[in-house]
Amino acid sequence: MRILVVEDELDLQRALVRALRDEGYAVDSANDGEDGFFNAKNTDYDAVILDVMMPRMDGWEVIKQLRKIKRTPVLMLTARDQSRDRVKGLDSGADDYVVKPFDLPELLARLRAIIRRSANKTTNQIELGSVVVDTAARNIMHSGKPVELTAREYSLVEFLALHRGEVVTRTTLYEHLFDEDDSTMSNLLDVHVSNVRKKLGPEFITTRRGHGYCIE
Amino acid sequence: MHRMNFKSIKWRLQAWHGFLLVALVAGLMIGFYSFERRARLQSIDKALQEVMTSLLPKLSPAGNGRHNGPGDSRGFRRPPPPEFGGDIPEQAPGGFRARAVDGVDLGKFYYASWSPEGRVVSISTNAPPNLLPDERSIANTPGMIRTAGINRELTHHVPNGFRVIAGTSLAPMVAQLRQLALWLVVIGSSIVIVGSTIGWWLASQALRPIEAISRTAEEIARGDLSKRINSSETESELGQLALVLNSTFARLDAAFEHQKQFTYDAAHELRTPVSVILTQTQSTLNKERSPAEYRETLEACQRAAQRMRRLIESLLELARLDAGQETMKRVRFDLADATRECVEMVRPLADERRIVIRLELSPAGCHGDPERVAQVVLNLLTNAVQHNNDNGAIVVSTNPNNGFSTLIVSDSGPGIAPEHLPHLFKRFYRADGARTSSQGRSGLGLAISSAIIHAHGGSIEVNSNVGDGSQFTVRLPLA
Repeated sequence: MRILVVEDELDLQRALVRALRDEGYAVDSANDGEDGFFNAKNTDYDAVILDVMMPRMDGWEVIKQLRKIKRTPVLMLTARDQSRDRVKGLDSGADDYVVKPFDLPELLARLRAIIRRSANKTTNQIELGSVVVDTAARNIMHSGKPVELTAREYSLVEFLALHRGEVVTRTTLYEHLFDEDDSTMSNLLDVHVSNVRKKLGPEFITTRRGHGYCIE
Repeated sequence: MHRMNFKSIKWRLQAWHGFLLVALVAGLMIGFYSFERRARLQSIDKALQEVMTSLLPKLSPAGNGRHNGPGDSRGFRRPPPPEFGGDIPEQAPGGFRARAVDGVDLGKFYYASWSPEGRVVSISTNAPPNLLPDERSIANTPGMIRTAGINRELTHHVPNGFRVIAGTSLAPMVAQLRQLALWLVVIGSSIVIVGSTIGWWLASQALRPIEAISRTAEEIARGDLSKRINSSETESELGQLALVLNSTFARLDAAFEHQKQFTYDAAHELRTPVSVILTQTQSTLNKERSPAEYRETLEACQRAAQRMRRLIESLLELARLDAGQETMKRVRFDLADATRECVEMVRPLADERRIVIRLELSPAGCHGDPERVAQVVLNLLTNAVQHNNDNGAIVVSTNPNNGFSTLIVSDSGPGIAPEHLPHLFKRFYRADGARTSSQGRSGLGLAISSAIIHAHGGSIEVNSNVGDGSQFTVRLPLA
């Protein structure tokens, strides 16, 4: 899962990025609306956390422009909590709305919810045969037993599980699992896939030569 | 207003009106009644005089010589009763009474006469019992009128010592007057009732606008400050009152709105630093961190706390300026000197971005608080640096001009769009749209500057063209 944080208050931005990385997300950040819009336009993020009051281009404008080209889930982050602002935020295309100062666990839960909704899932539990992925607890059960996965491995399984039945290209996986700060070799993805196969069975992730990976 | 409030103006008006109406009607009725009563008594007295005139010649024998003696009248030649002052009816035998005196139609009148010795000479049959002459009657007076019980009597003292009394019953008159009184009471009550009703209606009409005003005022008092009194009749006194009240309400409304917005903005400004502290600490405490990470978190929290402190200080300063509590010193000082000191303070900031500060300082004495004025100058200079382009320029000038000491700070920054200019001195207003600012600006600097300058009786204004820099002008009264 790759998230974009657009926030001009740098101390807040850094705290958010760290918290999201702790959760296993790949995170990019932007310091103002213009940069944020540029990033969101050029990368397929799984979600965008967007501050409203920003210099150069405010959150309203970013979401307005973004909605013309993309359906990326957007969580608005603002210091305004008047009802008409919430209505404006949701009406202009935001998927959810969090008022500052917020509770970090709540923000993370809302983020999971908008990602889940965009994948047309209604619960946090995704069942894949004998494997169950819990996106809230961020753990995986195999035949009723918990399986130890690294954060990256988990993210890989989660992303494929949310796109169950679809063939996900390597490029897409790179885009969603790693952020701009990650200096990863291309074969690192194969290492993660092979580790997951060791833990959950060789048939769990299938390889489509020349296309990508898939969970049936 | 709808319940019965007996202390209300309406009730008081009604009470006064009712009281006056009752007094007036009662007075009129009593006057009319007494006039009627007196007129009737006068006509009775007149009739009694006439009866007396016709009786005298017949009942006073010696008379004054011009009357015929009673002896000429056959019906009155009677033996006198034994004792004057005795019980006449008992002592008077039946034949002693007479119905009429010759030639006089006595009708409802009665009479009696007494000799000088006090013996009853003659008495009519319809005379009341225990009839005695009026002792106050004196010889040769026209006669004394008295009311004895239900009767009206006229006693005539003839010079020869005889006394004659003529009387009549007042009963018919009393009955008529009673009837009249009854009618007067009925008519009077009707007038009072109709009058009070009309009075109540008039009072309601007159007080309706007041009730409307008071209803609206009540609604406003309950918190709906947007309500206004309907003041269509601006010509009337109440219309004027409504206009005055409405303008007061409007000012109150604006003041409350201003206060609400200010409180809201202040709370809002605190949200961002609080978010920083909350998110930083929550994410840091999530798991074990390296000392460097803890340090980073603490530094971020410190920055947030310092920002909150600055904001709180600014808010308190504004509140004091608003309340007029901030005591301004009143001393003479040179605006040029104060400005020079401030320029030296911002110079390192300007040098960092290679911004040139050019000074055109002429001595400009002014009167006020040099520290407060320096605060304003520093604020303007800091803004000029922060909103300038790298390698830009700032021109600072002071001049005595038209009774004012003038300070002008011009920068070569990007300028301010015309739509922002009218709001620039408003609290928390930021032309760049960024609420949260890592540079620690609270959005209150210009508002505080403006408040300080106005407290000095001066003025502050801004001119700007996009792409052509901004120019702030401060005018302070000359020393």
